[in-house]
Amino acid sequence: MKQKSTRLARHFSAAGLIIFLTTWSAAGVAAQTDFYNTDRGRPVQIEDAYVTERHAFELKLAPVRLERSNGGIYNLGLEPEIAYGILPRTQIEVGFPIAFVEAGQQRNTGLAGLDFSAMHNLNVETETVPALGVRADLLAPVGSLAAEHAFASFTGMATRTTSWIRLHVNGQYTAGPSAPRTSVGASRVGGPAGLEVSRWLVGGAIDKTYPLSALLITAEFYGSKPIESGSRVEYTTGAGLRHQQSPTLALDAGLGRRLNGDNPAWFLTFGTAYAFGIRSLIPFGR
Amino acid sequence: MRSNGDMIRRKMPRAIGLFAGLVLALAARPPVAGAQWSRAYEQFYMPGDFNWTFRRTYPGADRLFNAFDYGHAILYEKLYTRPGADVSLLEDKEYNFITKKLLVSPPNLPLEEAAIEVAYAKMAPEVKMMFDWAHLFHRQVYDVLADEKLAQAEKDATIARLLSYYKTRPDLAFSSSPKSMDLMEGQPYSLAFRNKYPKFNGLIWGYHWLQVGLYEPLMTGKNLEERQAGVTAAVARFRQMLENAPEHMPRIMPMTAAVAPTFAKRYPEAAIIFDNLHSMHDVVSDILTNPKVPQNRKRAEILRAAALYRDRTSYVMTPAEWMEMAQMMGIENMGGPAVGILAGWPTPTIARGQSAAEAMKNMEGMAGMKMDSSSSAGAAGMAGMDHANTNMMGMNMDRSAMMQMHTRMMEDPVIRERVMRDTTMRRLMNEMMQSMPADHEMNMSTMMPSRARPSAPSSSTKNRSRTATSAKTRNSASMTKSSTTGKAKPSTTKGASTTKKAAAKPAPKPAMPPMDHSKMKMPGMEMPPAKKN
Repeated sequence: MKQKSTRLARHFSAAGLIIFLTTWSAAGVAAQTDFYNTDRGRPVQIEDAYVTERHAFELKLAPVRLERSNGGIYNLGLEPEIAYGILPRTQIEVGFPIAFVEAGQQRNTGLAGLDFSAMHNLNVETETVPALGVRADLLAPVGSLAAEHAFASFTGMATRTTSWIRLHVNGQYTAGPSAPRTSVGASRVGGPAGLEVSRWLVGGAIDKTYPLSALLITAEFYGSKPIESGSRVEYTTGAGLRHQQSPTLALDAGLGRRLNGDNPAWFLTFGTAYAFGIRSLIPFGR
Repeated sequence: MRSNGDMIRRKMPRAIGLFAGLVLALAARPPVAGAQWSRAYEQFYMPGDFNWTFRRTYPGADRLFNAFDYGHAILYEKLYTRPGADVSLLEDKEYNFITKKLLVSPPNLPLEEAAIEVAYAKMAPEVKMMFDWAHLFHRQVYDVLADEKLAQAEKDATIARLLSYYKTRPDLAFSSSPKSMDLMEGQPYSLAFRNKYPKFNGLIWGYHWLQVGLYEPLMTGKNLEERQAGVTAAVARFRQMLENAPEHMPRIMPMTAAVAPTFAKRYPEAAIIFDNLHSMHDVVSDILTNPKVPQNRKRAEILRAAALYRDRTSYVMTPAEWMEMAQMMGIENMGGPAVGILAGWPTPTIARGQSAAEAMKNMEGMAGMKMDSSSSAGAAGMAGMDHANTNMMGMNMDRSAMMQMHTRMMEDPVIRERVMRDTTMRRLMNEMMQSMPADHEMNMSTMMPSRARPSAPSSSTKNRSRTATSAKTRNSASMTKSSTTGKAKPSTTKGASTTKKAAAKPAPKPAMPPMDHSKMKMPGMEMPPAKKN
């Protein structure tokens, strides 16, 4: 029991240090970000259909996810990402997922792949048509904790806004070989450690915005089929909030639970995001 | 655990199906005006060290702007979603919330307007983005002007770059060509908002007064302390406008050239863009308010107006005419100046709800007339005066006094130059001289070396407009401001005291009946003494 507490404290300390460092470093960056534009995993898996605005960079330095599986096993994931609005309604993004994994007495830390993605927002929401977006991801097998194979994912997103709430629906399919099924709590060493890679995923989220407080609260529910062969469909629910801290910084935090499957687990997320521009990349900005 | 998992497995697909059905039901809402497919997109603001300087240096004013975002957004949302609602929804409920809560403690951050004007944003996302893009430009100009590290030349260069960047989005950028008031006030739906919601309309114009007015202390202040004092004074004046609303709120749309003349002169294109932006705000309000535009035509009309405000060809006037119009509309109708603010209030010359054209008509009708502030206070609702039917020469006018005045005016090199550059004025002068004694005519001819020339030396519209501006501005300014030349006639100076003397005169007098010139004495005749306040 004491050992568990020590491990937990160590994980929280690591997460706290990362959050502190990234939040502190973000304070000096002159930029603007938007709490209203939810991203994958920030704070919940289901995201809206909009992309980073054109010419903007969005840097996510501290997307931390701490997961506690049955049996008291902790996994800590960190995926710094940077997105760039390269074209109208189009962003490209690269992520560097880093995993800290416990398996029994064994602890592993390393890069769990390189995640490249391109996302395109097809339209802006109107009275008759929801906002629609599509995204393609490629998780390259780079790093000590990466999967053995590359995985390509394709995601469709829709966002509908009412005067009360926004609704988001996501559907995703991942191509690539199935990974061998592993024992409970050993993370998904056949797949990328600490990362949720599913053969398919379908789900939805609702969010409620408090514009005068620059606050968004959200809740999600989705079902997914893990990439491991023979796995059953897993259902996950989560909730979180996203807050604009200043014109230059947004924070998000979430709490969720995988309800079933081989590895039911609680997880916490925390992230920061801010945007900036590079004048030399902008026409007439020199 | 297994049984629990089985239960989840059985029920969850149903839950997902239910959720998907809900989304589809929302997505399948009956179309209002056919399927709307919009590919408008947002763009990042121009990076620079100056960004957010205004927020850091003038936090009180900056936070007010955040609250202004809410005012615009909730207005459009309510007008669009509740067209049949009682007037009190906006005039009382929303107005009270905004003025008693929101403006008292404004939000710390710029608002996400799409979360407030949900239905409106979906109805006209292209126009919402036009507003957003212009607001970004607006705020960045504050940042540049507030940046104490930038020299004036650097500020000029940076604002020029901001302007260029703004124009890189022709699908969103308001034209930098001035648009005539006819586009705002001469449409079938025009004036609906100001007449139905005078208080909220006054609030919006109060916003616009401050938004353009703050440029003036930022421009005219010689150092940080002066700029801060000027901004503080302007913000305080804005808050005063909210008291006893809509009494002291602007009665016509504040024009940048009138409220922030220093800014408008240095950055005319930016000033024009802001005027077009504010005009478009009013147009959207009118379209949403006016039942003559059916609900399923709102989007089409708003998009039409937006296109007209973006192009460079329709409803355009020259910058000189735009400047002239701003002066002719009368700053006292726009909430007064944003710098050099006095304790009292300027006295408007029009009644609330009237158009800018009516304001100009009134100002034109009064131009050149010797009136004190008490008289102009009663000008609200005054019918335009028709000078065409006034035979001044037949009104026992003292000819020698006229000739004396004539000579004195033409001795002034500035006046002489302006008369010579204005074909109409020169023609009138020539005609008048023909009715004068020969010696006077000869004397005047020596002052007008080009009198014999048949046509105007300049035929360019720009020059014509500029000349006309000067002449008319001088006339209208004579009713509102002190003459800068110091050569104005005493009567002009009295008229110039309108703004200052109005201090102790908060309420305009009842509408003044049309004036009968046949019973008035003209120059050389005694006028009633100006009332002292």
